[in-house]
Amino acid sequence: MSGPAYDADEFTRRQFLSNVARKCLGVCLFPMFGTSLAGAAPATARPGAKAKHVIYLFMSGGMSHLDTFDPKPRARKVMGPTTAIETSADGIQLGHYLPHTAKVMHRCSIIRSMNSTQGAHEQGQYMMHTSYSMRGTIRHPALGSWVLKLGGRIHPELPGFVAVDTPADLTGGGFFGASYAAAPVGRPEDGLKDCRRPDEVKPEDFDRRLALADRLNRDFHARHPNADVKAYEQLYQDAVKLMNSKDVKAFDLAQESTATRDLYGGGRFAQGCLLARRLVEHGVRFVEVNLGGWDTHYDNFTGVEGRCREFDQAFAALIHDLEKRGKLDETLVVVATEFGRTPEIQTAHSHGRDHHPAAFSTVLAGGGIKGGHLHGETDRTASRVARDAVTIPDLNSTIAHALGLPHELVIMSPTRRPFKIADKGTPVHSLFA
Amino acid sequence: MRRKTIFSIFIATSALVVCPGQAVANPEKMREAAMQIDRHIATFYRDRQFTLPDVTEDAKFLRRTYLTVVGRVPTHEEATAFLASDAPEKRQALIASLLESPGYGSHMANWIFDLIRIQDRNDRTSLGPYRHWVRAAMNGNMPWDEFTRRLLASTGSGWKQENAAVGYYVRDRGMPHDNLANSMRIFLGKRMECAQCHDDPFGDTERRDFYELAAFTEGQSQLNRDLIEPLYHEFREDGTEQSEEHRIALMLRENIFGLSLEGGGSGRITLPPDYQYRNGRPGEMLGAQTPFGRTVRLSPNRNHDDGREKLADWVITRTDLQFPAVIANRMWRRVMGQGLVEPVDDFTPIGETHHPALFKHLAELMVELKYDLKAFQHVLLLTRTYQFETNPAPSAIHGGDDFLGRRLQRLSAEQVWDSLITLATGNPDASPPPQLDDTIYLDGRPVLNGSKSMTQLAEEIHGLRNERQFRRYFAELVKEIQHSGSSGTDGGSMRMQPAGASAQGGLIRAADLPSPAPRGHFLHVFGQSDREVVDASSREANVGQVLALMNGFVQKEIIGQADSMLFQGLKESDGPRDQIHRLCLTILSRPPTGVELEWMLEEVRDRGESGIRNLAAALLMSSEFLFLQ
Repeated sequence: MSGPAYDADEFTRRQFLSNVARKCLGVCLFPMFGTSLAGAAPATARPGAKAKHVIYLFMSGGMSHLDTFDPKPRARKVMGPTTAIETSADGIQLGHYLPHTAKVMHRCSIIRSMNSTQGAHEQGQYMMHTSYSMRGTIRHPALGSWVLKLGGRIHPELPGFVAVDTPADLTGGGFFGASYAAAPVGRPEDGLKDCRRPDEVKPEDFDRRLALADRLNRDFHARHPNADVKAYEQLYQDAVKLMNSKDVKAFDLAQESTATRDLYGGGRFAQGCLLARRLVEHGVRFVEVNLGGWDTHYDNFTGVEGRCREFDQAFAALIHDLEKRGKLDETLVVVATEFGRTPEIQTAHSHGRDHHPAAFSTVLAGGGIKGGHLHGETDRTASRVARDAVTIPDLNSTIAHALGLPHELVIMSPTRRPFKIADKGTPVHSLFA
Repeated sequence: MRRKTIFSIFIATSALVVCPGQAVANPEKMREAAMQIDRHIATFYRDRQFTLPDVTEDAKFLRRTYLTVVGRVPTHEEATAFLASDAPEKRQALIASLLESPGYGSHMANWIFDLIRIQDRNDRTSLGPYRHWVRAAMNGNMPWDEFTRRLLASTGSGWKQENAAVGYYVRDRGMPHDNLANSMRIFLGKRMECAQCHDDPFGDTERRDFYELAAFTEGQSQLNRDLIEPLYHEFREDGTEQSEEHRIALMLRENIFGLSLEGGGSGRITLPPDYQYRNGRPGEMLGAQTPFGRTVRLSPNRNHDDGREKLADWVITRTDLQFPAVIANRMWRRVMGQGLVEPVDDFTPIGETHHPALFKHLAELMVELKYDLKAFQHVLLLTRTYQFETNPAPSAIHGGDDFLGRRLQRLSAEQVWDSLITLATGNPDASPPPQLDDTIYLDGRPVLNGSKSMTQLAEEIHGLRNERQFRRYFAELVKEIQHSGSSGTDGGSMRMQPAGASAQGGLIRAADLPSPAPRGHFLHVFGQSDREVVDASSREANVGQVLALMNGFVQKEIIGQADSMLFQGLKESDGPRDQIHRLCLTILSRPPTGVELEWMLEEVRDRGESGIRNLAAALLMSSEFLFLQ
């Protein structure tokens, strides 16, 4: 893949895609490593689509919907010590652990009618990230990889997909290959590690090392024409472009003022949100930030309180900050999780809550999404979806729609099986302003 | 000098090492078992009219075997010793000596940590003693059936090494059903996680089946928890969150009582409130019952206390060949690079696989070897199949179980790390693995140093008979700690240090670093499992990895370090030709080809000392280094 892919073949690529889409065969064949699409600008931006970027905040472990975005103050029995608080949006209440978030609800939509049949973490997280069920025979690309595949990078030198504090097996390129995998960030303060040439290595030596390695690799690749091997070759090129980019400072949190850093708060997740904002500003298309520890089988209320302390201030700061900088309109912020938690409270496990895929909540903000809006509803105890059920593929389809990406476009895997960005999901149109 | 010793041991061990006390311990039988496997593979090839792959050359065999058995590349001395030897059975001798070296246990630990999701702590409870026990079980080659039984059926205080396996359940405190679903997957290759909530639409497991199975493990609690609960609740209601006494109570509650397991499995369970099928009603009491194999049933009318023991017994001895077949297949994957049947944790009945006769043979061999994983791998390593040439082409059979030669595979995160630290510091197993950290920590600081250990504390506390005795003991303990004077007042972290693991920056074996390695650590970037789900490691490339190889860890610890093992070794060499030879041998475990030598010499002519460093850097950036052939 050549970096600044805006130029020569950009037009053909757009045309190719739009033709395919128009002919509505809907089937598009991409060679496995014909990376002609990565690096491209959005394929066929749907007219009216506002979002260019996604900041995907994943609450790993299963966030308790009852204690956060879907409280049921009248059903005391299922609430435990959690109470409901008013928010900046009329008619929307949140769990009392989220006072800052409450102040930005007029910018957010909550989907309270999420539901799935995947009640185990691995399967649930996999489906959230890929829209498909786990199979032994294929790895599906992560949502961020799909967005790159269909929408391309924005900045030609920075990675298009960055994952902060997220397990590698959930942010891989799947059958699109490693060029679509997320660039991993461990500690936000460290940014993307090692992206500067070490001072003691002279530029000439650095170039020589690359040339020598290339020479070794050419032989090896000729003997082993293997996709995994090839992926590394591609990544070396990406890495060098990145190192030479003046925008590599996008990864440097030290460039932010203390005031801004304090606005987000001190935890790893908070600084991850700040990093996500910086990256988006510099033209990274998809940033995922992970917040783990939501698996509150044991002592749910202490657990949720602790998690919300990490989440609350950071999320509110992110919305404020994006808004202040005029980026909220073109940045879709998503708060997602693999499932909710049971209304029943397990006293035997120090008041724990178990997995509950039958009903849970997700939050969307920015990128053309309505503010202060509720979609769907659960029953009296938040146990079942009462109306307007939304599936995981529907959510992902909505994200694609916000970006103007063709969620109906079929892409064939190298094994000749058809896949779509959100499987059979359809966008929730009423969420858009 | 230490390296020289290893070298001479290797040369001396020309006969096969005999594992004492095992059924098929003698070399003849091992070899015969290996040949039987090869015969099955040969028949398979003949039937499908495939050509049998060649046996790989010495250098590839050497590298493959080090990485497979001890999880790292050989040092220069080790490589030279093997390649220069003309002993007729040097391959067999190398296998035997590596299996007996400490690296074997370390690399097995990487495998088991990933499989059973070893984490250093669960919430605020340190799982150090459990981790230590697992690591020791791998070192000591504990038979797989015994290991399984210990994990599934142990009770008691986890601070006693004989009960430390209770960590298997403590790790999943509050989520016994997830734990059980994982157990079925790990030990029997049976996927039941969906059936926790609903009948499995793709499989044959109903939700009721799952609950009947879960009944075996029902009724888990913490040993003697009643001793501390009243006191703990007094503190809570008191609101004196920050008092030292409160923090000591909390530490005991999490780390002494928290790391224990009481209740051998009640054998009965009630159906959950949202039970949705006609074959049961919410709240109905079910007796334990196994879903397949030879049925084991317990009455719902009384509490049993040996449900987990019964479950372990069923898993190990009453599921026909499923238990040995699953572990045999996992071992096959470790040695051959892919399972005989993939995926390895979704068991296909032996008769329905591409290799029914061989699969059955392997399962029976596992039983015959009394679940001795080392001996079993030894047999596999002795096969010709293990030595097949690398085949770059994709497999002809869906799922890849045709063994048209070995598939090229990126090294695991742990193999890359352990190889790099070998290049940085030499044989990483020269110093013994860290001991269990038995210190008592309060707010992250050691207390009662030297006068009392966690093991002692646990033993004394679990020896108390009633709450009154406990309160008296507690008051004494508080006094002792206050007297010793090293406690803090910041009320901050209540956490203990990760037991058995040294600082995250250490250049030590991956298996001795914190588990999982911290986010952002080299191991994380290269796809080490986060140890949340079974077998979650990834070998996929990402840009962070190439940055680490170009600019980061490799430059900092190896290329830029004049005293790294790699460059130390070069000092002994005689001129650029010899230096290049040595570089290739140390990094790629093979000498340079004639053509390579020419252009490498050119680099040294052009750049002198820097040229050597450039070559080393390039070799470490090469795909040949990163992939197992």
